[in-house]
Amino acid sequence: MIRHFDRRAFLKQVFVASAAGATLGLAGCRSQPASQAANSVPSGSGAVTESPTTLPAIPAGSAYLAVARGAIDAGELTRRAIAAVGGIERFVKPGATVIVKPNICNAYHGPEYASTTNPDVVAAIVALCKAAGAQSVRVMDFPFGGSPQAGYKMSGIADAVAAAGGDMEVMSGVKYREVPITGGKAIQKWEVYGEILDSDVVINVPIAKQHGSAGLTLGMKNLMGIIQNRNGFHARGLHQCIADLSTTVRPQLTVIDAVRILTANGPTGGNLDDVKRLDTVIASADIVAADAYATTLFDLRPEDIPYIRLGSEMGIGQMDLKVIKIEEIAA
Amino acid sequence: MNARTFRRVRPWVQLAAVLLFLVLIVRAGNGRFLPADLFFRADPLTGLAGMLAAERVTAALLISVILGIGLALVLGRVWCGWLCPLGTLLDWTPSRRTRNFEPDPLPRLRSVKYLLLAFILIAALLGNLTLLILDPITLLYRAFATAVWPALVWLITAAERAMYAVPFLRGPVDFIETNLRGTVLPVEQPLYGLNVLVALVLVGVLALNAIRSRFWCRYLCPLGGLLGLVSRVSWLRRTVSDSCIECRRCARACPTGTIDPARGFASDPAECIMCLDCAPVCARAGQQFTPILIPAPRLAYDPTRRQFLAAGAAAVAAVGLLGAERAAGRPHLRLIRAPGAQGPEFLSQCIRCGVCLKVCPTAGLQPSFTEAGWSGVWSPVLAPRLGYCDYSCNACGQACPTGAIPKLTLEDKRLTVIGKAYINIDRCIPWADGRSCLVCEEMCPLPEKAIILRDEQIIAPDGSAVEVRRPYVVRERCIGCGICENKCPLVGEAAIRVETA
Repeated sequence: MIRHFDRRAFLKQVFVASAAGATLGLAGCRSQPASQAANSVPSGSGAVTESPTTLPAIPAGSAYLAVARGAIDAGELTRRAIAAVGGIERFVKPGATVIVKPNICNAYHGPEYASTTNPDVVAAIVALCKAAGAQSVRVMDFPFGGSPQAGYKMSGIADAVAAAGGDMEVMSGVKYREVPITGGKAIQKWEVYGEILDSDVVINVPIAKQHGSAGLTLGMKNLMGIIQNRNGFHARGLHQCIADLSTTVRPQLTVIDAVRILTANGPTGGNLDDVKRLDTVIASADIVAADAYATTLFDLRPEDIPYIRLGSEMGIGQMDLKVIKIEEIAA
Repeated sequence: MNARTFRRVRPWVQLAAVLLFLVLIVRAGNGRFLPADLFFRADPLTGLAGMLAAERVTAALLISVILGIGLALVLGRVWCGWLCPLGTLLDWTPSRRTRNFEPDPLPRLRSVKYLLLAFILIAALLGNLTLLILDPITLLYRAFATAVWPALVWLITAAERAMYAVPFLRGPVDFIETNLRGTVLPVEQPLYGLNVLVALVLVGVLALNAIRSRFWCRYLCPLGGLLGLVSRVSWLRRTVSDSCIECRRCARACPTGTIDPARGFASDPAECIMCLDCAPVCARAGQQFTPILIPAPRLAYDPTRRQFLAAGAAAVAAVGLLGAERAAGRPHLRLIRAPGAQGPEFLSQCIRCGVCLKVCPTAGLQPSFTEAGWSGVWSPVLAPRLGYCDYSCNACGQACPTGAIPKLTLEDKRLTVIGKAYINIDRCIPWADGRSCLVCEEMCPLPEKAIILRDEQIIAPDGSAVEVRRPYVVRERCIGCGICENKCPLVGEAAIRVETA
């Protein structure tokens, strides 16, 4: 009998303790979005901001958008483009936590097939962040085809990032949390990868690719990698959802890899005939402007891609390339 | 070392074997370690039946026969008492103890395992391996790979999710996620259609302990039957000497109830699992384990020739029945096998080990229930809605111990057709509702996509003319990987499905 009583008492204690834990957890959950917003409003730093219209001020002498071109090392193109928009120091302060988000959409092909972001571009960014004093630089994506590790390895990004001093992170299913999508038209709240929300700096590094349903996959579309429920986007209208997500998740810097672009059979690729070598890297703090410029590489106009037009209309960024200062750097 | 010392070592060997079994399952498909099918390389039943049915000698299977039979020839059913992870689980499961001692209440049942063995081997001679699902290692592997481990993954992840919400508990979650997720823990929760049924079979086998300890091993296990037959001529055996004072302690301790007071406390080497539980309880050193070279005597419960013939006849009848079942001639629409495993000979080569189920990174390979008919129950079949055949993976063929799933290079596997996709235009969003979607086209991994898009003018339900982009499958390109079906955003049944090619 005594043994039974002990066991019962023990279970009771466990129950009380776990209930307390759960309550704490719930309380923590509820308070997070508020503190997040409070942190990010004054400085404009942090991946999440309340107001969709604010863009960080551009330092004097820097371009709004930079395009580096030339048959030289992709890392060097990346460094030149970032230097022209104010240098990495504009975005990464000493001690900052940085997440670099390339496009590693599957584990099928190496970088020469242009279905995943060029590893040299990613590595150059990681190295710049480390040199600027970043506390940590983590690189991640959630492939839809194949396992993350297989994708990281196949893309060449795992090796390149390790050599540059960064860390690859497998995006963990337990770390997504729901945030309000302020200003969203199709969605009002969505589950987003928590580490992206908590990181000081997010650098968005898509590869420019043809995409059946989106037209092109560029910077704004690349942010679909940080959400888990992608089907919900398709059900609610893909383009509006992409634009809505960009109101809330705002990378400080977007670097578009157009060293090789995929012109057909995207986003998966696999045919070298569909790959076009452009030796181009685009950088801008304005995700809409970067995407808008990238459309011209495919002989399209920004307004041909609905999510770019919607992003511009919602004030997320500027798609009119005539009104912004563009610096073209030729090697 | 005497028998008592060995007896003290045994639980640790058992624990190590169970842990190794678990680690092999958890690690299967995650890089180089010991071979995932290691335990099958010491399981002579799957080895013997597998080679008989396939009519060919396979290295892994030959090893299992030599190792398994060889071990039994020297040490009797030491596999059952020391190594079999199912036997160990049965040792750990509480069992019935009676006040009035009765060594074996159901002696005639002991022949069941031999008859089951005869059935399996005769059926194997005729090319059928259906009842290998009763081999203890396949049974346990399937249960752990498709029921126990996925359930554990779910529990761990749920606990992590609860902990992650509490700020000061994030550290341990981060540690687990950084170090184990994607290697030990799968990134996405594996789902199995038959996990409850598979778990119930295991629970049932364990629950038989309520009738007698190691009920499964005494009466039913076909592998135990094979090892028992060999053990009748094993080298090392238990003998009782004149100093026995008939204290009955050994008989009470024996988990298989083979120590028979009526036969002067002698035991049947075919039933003795060499657990040595009798050694420490023996009061006067009245027994020992010594080399013996004469075969064990026949006992009342040993099956008669007539019974063996009946089991063989039953096997012949069953094989005939299965040859005439619907699935034998009209394959199920959803009988999608692992790459290269097409064809009726697959079922004669698949020993139902379940290793492919575990190494499949998407958990798309599932134990079948209806797709492969009665003869193929619990053989692997791809369920694309649960998991697609990953374009960057050829793990199943590499892991298959018998070659039933061929070892294809990744290049060859990418060209291997396992099925064909068909669109259900009554459900497909662009077809049925006139709205754009096209996830299937996005997902198609082929360099020249097997799903193409066409812009079409249609009349919307409200009468207006709208342009909508619709998907079409180019059948000659499709390899049936099923990622389109897996990712189709509809709830429930997908609007694009892979069907038998």
